[in-house]
Amino acid sequence: MRGRAAAVWLALGTATLVSGCGGGGTAGSTYVDRVPLLPDTMTTRMDEIGRYGGRFVVGATASPKTFNPIMANETSSSDVISQLFASLTDIDYVTQEDIPMLAKSWDFSDGGRTVTYHLRRGACFSDGHPITSEDVKFCFDVVMDPALHPSMQDAFTMEVGGKQVPFTYSAPDSYTFVVTAPATDALILAHVANIRVLPKHVLEAATKAGRFASSYTTATPPESLVTSGPWRLKEHLENQKTVLARNPYWCGVDAKGRRLPYLDEVVFRVAKDQDVAAQMFHAGELDGLDNVKSEDYKKYAAEQKQKGFVLYDIGAHFNTNFLWFNLNRVRKPEKGKKLGDPKVEPWKFAWFSNRDFRRAVSMAVDRDAIIRGPYYGYGVKGWAQFTPGNPRWYDATITGPDLDIEGAKRLLDQIGLKDRNGDGVREDATGHDVAFALVYNADNKLRQAISTLLQDDLAKVGIKLTPSGLDFNTMVTKTRHEFDYDACLLGLGSAVPSDPGMGPNFWKSSGLTHYWDIGQPRPDTPAEARIDSLFQVCIGTTDLAARKAAYRQMSEILNDECFVVWLPTLELKIPIRSRFGNVHASPMPHRIMWNSAVLFDKRPGQKN
Amino acid sequence: MELRRPVRQAPGAEELRTYLLRRLLQTIPLLLGISALTFVLLQLAPGDFLATMAENPQVSPAALEAMRHRFGLDQPWWAQYLLYLKNVFLHLDFGESFSRHQPVFTVLRTGLANTLLLACAAAVVTWALAIPLGVVAAVRQYGWPDRALSFLAFFSLSVPEVLSGLLLLWLAASTGWFPVGGMRHLDHDLFGPLQRLGDTLRHLVLPALTVGLIPLAGRMRQMRSSLLDVLRLDYVTTARAKGLSESQVVVGHALRNALNPMITLFGFTLGSLVSGSFVAETIFSWPGLGSLTLEALNTQDQYLVMGSVLMASLVLIAGNLVADVLLAVADPRIRHA
Repeated sequence: MRGRAAAVWLALGTATLVSGCGGGGTAGSTYVDRVPLLPDTMTTRMDEIGRYGGRFVVGATASPKTFNPIMANETSSSDVISQLFASLTDIDYVTQEDIPMLAKSWDFSDGGRTVTYHLRRGACFSDGHPITSEDVKFCFDVVMDPALHPSMQDAFTMEVGGKQVPFTYSAPDSYTFVVTAPATDALILAHVANIRVLPKHVLEAATKAGRFASSYTTATPPESLVTSGPWRLKEHLENQKTVLARNPYWCGVDAKGRRLPYLDEVVFRVAKDQDVAAQMFHAGELDGLDNVKSEDYKKYAAEQKQKGFVLYDIGAHFNTNFLWFNLNRVRKPEKGKKLGDPKVEPWKFAWFSNRDFRRAVSMAVDRDAIIRGPYYGYGVKGWAQFTPGNPRWYDATITGPDLDIEGAKRLLDQIGLKDRNGDGVREDATGHDVAFALVYNADNKLRQAISTLLQDDLAKVGIKLTPSGLDFNTMVTKTRHEFDYDACLLGLGSAVPSDPGMGPNFWKSSGLTHYWDIGQPRPDTPAEARIDSLFQVCIGTTDLAARKAAYRQMSEILNDECFVVWLPTLELKIPIRSRFGNVHASPMPHRIMWNSAVLFDKRPGQKN
Repeated sequence: MELRRPVRQAPGAEELRTYLLRRLLQTIPLLLGISALTFVLLQLAPGDFLATMAENPQVSPAALEAMRHRFGLDQPWWAQYLLYLKNVFLHLDFGESFSRHQPVFTVLRTGLANTLLLACAAAVVTWALAIPLGVVAAVRQYGWPDRALSFLAFFSLSVPEVLSGLLLLWLAASTGWFPVGGMRHLDHDLFGPLQRLGDTLRHLVLPALTVGLIPLAGRMRQMRSSLLDVLRLDYVTTARAKGLSESQVVVGHALRNALNPMITLFGFTLGSLVSGSFVAETIFSWPGLGSLTLEALNTQDQYLVMGSVLMASLVLIAGNLVADVLLAVADPRIRHA
């Protein structure tokens, strides 16, 4: 009996070995657009006119947690959400300029304080219901709800005369929406673009009942998820795949006036592990990866012709890497310490707070060695928040103290840190070895490798650095709440848009990610006071040249003081099957899918 | 101890019911203890669900505070735990996942189903191999099949699951015989019913092998020694003396008794299979409870962790209960103890 059962089981197994393989299910360009085009179509920019059909399967490291654009807080959700829901305006990832989306145009008035959006007539949700300014207003009401307080709410209040004043907004008619900031805000378009338009007719009842946060979750049936973007949800299987099908009412068209998107489907397929994702790509189960290890770039480059894919070189990563020293002070009453005392030992604070010490450290770092080593040659030096990958904000004139070992030694000698006992490590005047620990999150292999190189670099100038890899949450607790560390190696990710104005918490001395000295009630140093006021200039005008000038000055002060010691940035290359057209991968998220509406399959229905 | 009905009679339904009831009641304090311990350990871990979000330069302190309040994380931990217990006992409400804004069991449901599928497939692998191989090893004691099987058993015992999983994955990637992870083909929905079944089985083979091979060595050796014990007994000699063929002796007489201790082990492996599959789930991108639990732990999605730990415990307890009941049915003396 048991034998027979096992035989059947095995037979089934082998039968499927043959049947299980096979090409894509959505073959051919069978799509026929049956919905009449709206009066205000949106002609979308693209390299070449595409053809209908096919699907793109992209690897994702995690499943979306929610499909609710206002409640989403991490990229696995927002990557999919940005396909499903559109905003009034968007950003062209190539030029980083604002482009129309659900609004066909906009005007500034009141010296840049007020924006009047003109919505596209005839634009519809995926259920055919027209999109009007009432829907936009509904979304604003939700975002500004004090009880819900989603994280994007704070972008819509401004400090004016010491008081938090909210933005005002109104919908004078069905196709006009007006937003007014309390003062000029350089990023008003970007902030409004963060609000993706949701259907009021679907969500109003749940919202009134206080159930907005638990609406449009991953458990919502796909047919009741009414979307405003180029795609609608077809199927979601947790930790397996999220399948998007075209929104038949989408307002985007190509130059010939044919409705977009071209592809029948976009699939986000989960492969948690980077190596497994790479195997799936090689096995033809994925059409593109948005993240591959730099050590594998060479291998991919060698295989691309033979295996039918292109390794796109998309320039420098937007994410930066840097280290900083703990200059945090006691802000809350604490046993044995006075308010304003440094959190680190007083002698360490004496070195860390010395600009020349920080500059000496920066001058001891061999950045080329980091690029050659852990980056496998694929890196660029960066000296500011924006890397060469960012065409709008990168400024090649900003530099910082680079490798100069003799100069570093001289600086350290000058500030009285000398090797008095001849053991190779300098001591300060009180006899303490110049030694400190550098914390980093141990799960980041790149940072682990960098910290080892830094250890060697600093040893050359007589400073003892001990790398200390920690669990991410432990590191956050130590660096952000307990301030129990010497120095930390971390990086900043990129916001959309990648604009200095998006990082007030980093730049401003009162900010929560002003890592080296968090949440200062008043600027601790004159340099930080100057950065604070320059930041206000940078966000307080819509004049791009003036904003860029302010950003350059802020960066120069930061580098002059060496509050952060900048480290090189990785160059990005990502593989995508060559049968797809209009590919314009970008370092910003989502790297491949940002222009999904114009992507097309040159040979739909065929493999590779 | 009170004398009940004669031992030879079939176990009474009523007795079994009281026994089950007692065991079920015992699980309540057990689950309470597990939940309390999990909760305390979660509190001791550094940071909370909002720690990662606080790293985002665009999230303001006010927004964090509002979220902390909404999730109840601004309360002291014991107050959070008491509220949790209250909701569980009064409303059967096991809380909401912070990241998904859904009741935890809605989130965990499909994951649990997938993990159980994997666990059952792995159990099939283990037992379908362990029993016949154990019998072969016992019958051919010290012969070459026995030696070869012992070697293989110890070899597989000493290869860690991660390594065997990765090796199988490499096999799949280099030969194309099996899919590289996942649970279904992308076009699964377009397949016919038989093809669908085949597709799932095809995805199931490697993870089930990875999980099922771990306890295989132990079970096989236990089957071997259990059968060897029985084969030495007098009644086996009698059976042989009667002139029965060796296969009749082994299968008809000895095996049935030798299987008795394996029944208990079967129940126990059921429970451990769920937790044993967590590593394989990660390697093979299997959408089970393991991936969910790991993700919940990493993001400190408090009630999701609680829910999945409770669920895994429940499966373990159920496995043990099944083992005990099977044993009780097989050996009525147990219930009088």
